[in-house]
Amino acid sequence: MPADVDASFRTVRRVAVGHFVVFLCVVAAVPVLTLTVDWWSAGSLIGGLSPSFVMAAFGLYVFFFALAAAAATLSNGVEERMLGTQEREPAEERDEP
Amino acid sequence: MTSASVLALAALLLAVTVLAFLLRPGRTSTLEFYLAGRRVGVATNACAICGDYFSAASFLGVAAAVYVSGLDGVWYATGFAAGFVPVLLFVAAPLRRFGEFSIPDFLGRRLDSDRVRLIAVTVVQLIILSYLVPQAVGSGITWELLVGAGMFGLSPYATGVVLSTVAITTLVVLGGMRGTTWTQAVQFLLLLAAFVWLAVAVLTSGFSYPQAVSELSSEPLANPVLSGGEWRLATEPNHLDPSTPATFGEPGGRYGPLGQLTLMVTLVMGTAGLPHIMNRYFTSPTGTTARMTTIWVLGLAGVFYTLAVLLGTAARALIAEAVPGRPWLAELTVDGVLRVPEHAPLVLGRIYGGDAGLTFIAIGALIAVMSTIAGLLLASAASWGHDVYERHINPAASQRQAVWAGRGAVIVVAVFSAVLALGLRPDSLTALFPSIVATMVTWAFALAGSALAPVFILAIWWRGTTSRGAGAGMITGAVVAIGMFASAPWVADPGASEVLLAPTIVAAPLAVAVTVLVSRRTEPPEDLDRLWLRLHGTAGDRRAARLARLTIAGVGEGKR
Repeated sequence: MPADVDASFRTVRRVAVGHFVVFLCVVAAVPVLTLTVDWWSAGSLIGGLSPSFVMAAFGLYVFFFALAAAAATLSNGVEERMLGTQEREPAEERDEP
Repeated sequence: MTSASVLALAALLLAVTVLAFLLRPGRTSTLEFYLAGRRVGVATNACAICGDYFSAASFLGVAAAVYVSGLDGVWYATGFAAGFVPVLLFVAAPLRRFGEFSIPDFLGRRLDSDRVRLIAVTVVQLIILSYLVPQAVGSGITWELLVGAGMFGLSPYATGVVLSTVAITTLVVLGGMRGTTWTQAVQFLLLLAAFVWLAVAVLTSGFSYPQAVSELSSEPLANPVLSGGEWRLATEPNHLDPSTPATFGEPGGRYGPLGQLTLMVTLVMGTAGLPHIMNRYFTSPTGTTARMTTIWVLGLAGVFYTLAVLLGTAARALIAEAVPGRPWLAELTVDGVLRVPEHAPLVLGRIYGGDAGLTFIAIGALIAVMSTIAGLLLASAASWGHDVYERHINPAASQRQAVWAGRGAVIVVAVFSAVLALGLRPDSLTALFPSIVATMVTWAFALAGSALAPVFILAIWWRGTTSRGAGAGMITGAVVAIGMFASAPWVADPGASEVLLAPTIVAAPLAVAVTVLVSRRTEPPEDLDRLWLRLHGTAGDRRAARLARLTIAGVGEGKR
């Protein structure tokens, strides 16, 4: 396999795993905070909504979008910079379904 | 039933049929029928994926889950949206770059094994069936509430199930992936418009979101239960702190310490294994556009689910106040609380827009059901028609024969799911599962996340994955997930029951472990380098981009 594809694959995999770890930590933090920090469920943040409610009802969607945009930008950039000079098309790709 | 409702429903069914006819594939080929020629752009595909994904479970089920369980119900919405993060990180681009027609086809080619393809077909069909039945249930519920009358001697519920199944089967059989893509994209925009209209109507009527949450949280959460033939309100137990009752704005209304986590893992892993969603990525022109499509999906999902949660909360706060003076609402409620929580957005629509408002939201619900049914039927057709018929039964089939095999599969699966939905009565199951539509969809996610997603992701990112390993992993994931579901009714402990009803947290790691262990003892495909280059190289992307540039330049020259 061409060295540039192997290197790009490893870099993109690192980007994906790194962002996934951040995703897991944030998502897992919500139930953990629910069980350990009273303020998280009973406190008041925006207009009287608890931090837990704010995070579940809006906050996590913003986080998912930002994380996905960052990971996609980085992965696209890696592939654009690292691939395209040595790579040859596999024969089967030319007559893919 | 009003004449406006009937007219609107007739217009919807007619529009679906006309669109299917107008957008039918110009040529009879499997590439056109299943993949719309692989030319679906980012925005169109993102809207179509949303139309495909936001089913009755999202349109009716999320608001219903929030209505019944408060904050704990919000986690359905969060999990549904979160599922696209791993899809973007691990699946979208390489899956499209590899090509093929479906998940079983991808696994069969990647692992060079017909056996793996057939195991994956079995799992995919189980997932599709678990997903199809609640959609049909959702259409029955909506018809029952909107029209309230049956046709052809059927009950209102059965009429809804039968008519929506017939309409969407016609769309898929005639329009294939191209017709389905465009109708799903338009259908999603209509769904979003329905939620935006309802949210604006609710908010401009003086509804305060924070104040509603605060007021609802000041009293115990209570829901209707059928006891001794009589409906009455029963206070929900707090699953986190049994000494206090559950409230709307705090956790504990539905899940114990593990429940939230098990549900999230099930929904997040499940999305990456849903056949009708993953098949849509094969229609993107390149891997990079598949990745960018997922970002759009995440943005649109964020908006959609934020509105769904707001409407579930508004329904809980406003419906009880609206009962006096509305006899039709009294029939649907017990002391101001809806008996069937899936009615929440529909009832809000009628309160704020009269019959026209109810019609608009009900049509949104039917659209949600129909667009998801369309995606599921297409995925099923690809699986039976391409993976089984073309690959195994008749490898010498002409394109025409293969397309007709897919169309036949669509009809058989549609009839089977409608028959199963007719056997279910949602109000009789409400006491067992607070939101039956969302709960049944969770089963499909659990199976997808336990049996398919782990093997699928390993096949993309681990060179050592072998066909025997993948086969063993899929069987392990499916058997463990189904076994855990089946044993749930016999387990009294609430903590254990939570894990059994959302089993991916146990089944997926087991599937991974079995795949890795068996793969280590067997040999990967011989031409692994070529397969890897196809998965992770970008030559195909660059070639498609060059072709697009040349086409645009050619069109420009032609115009001059």
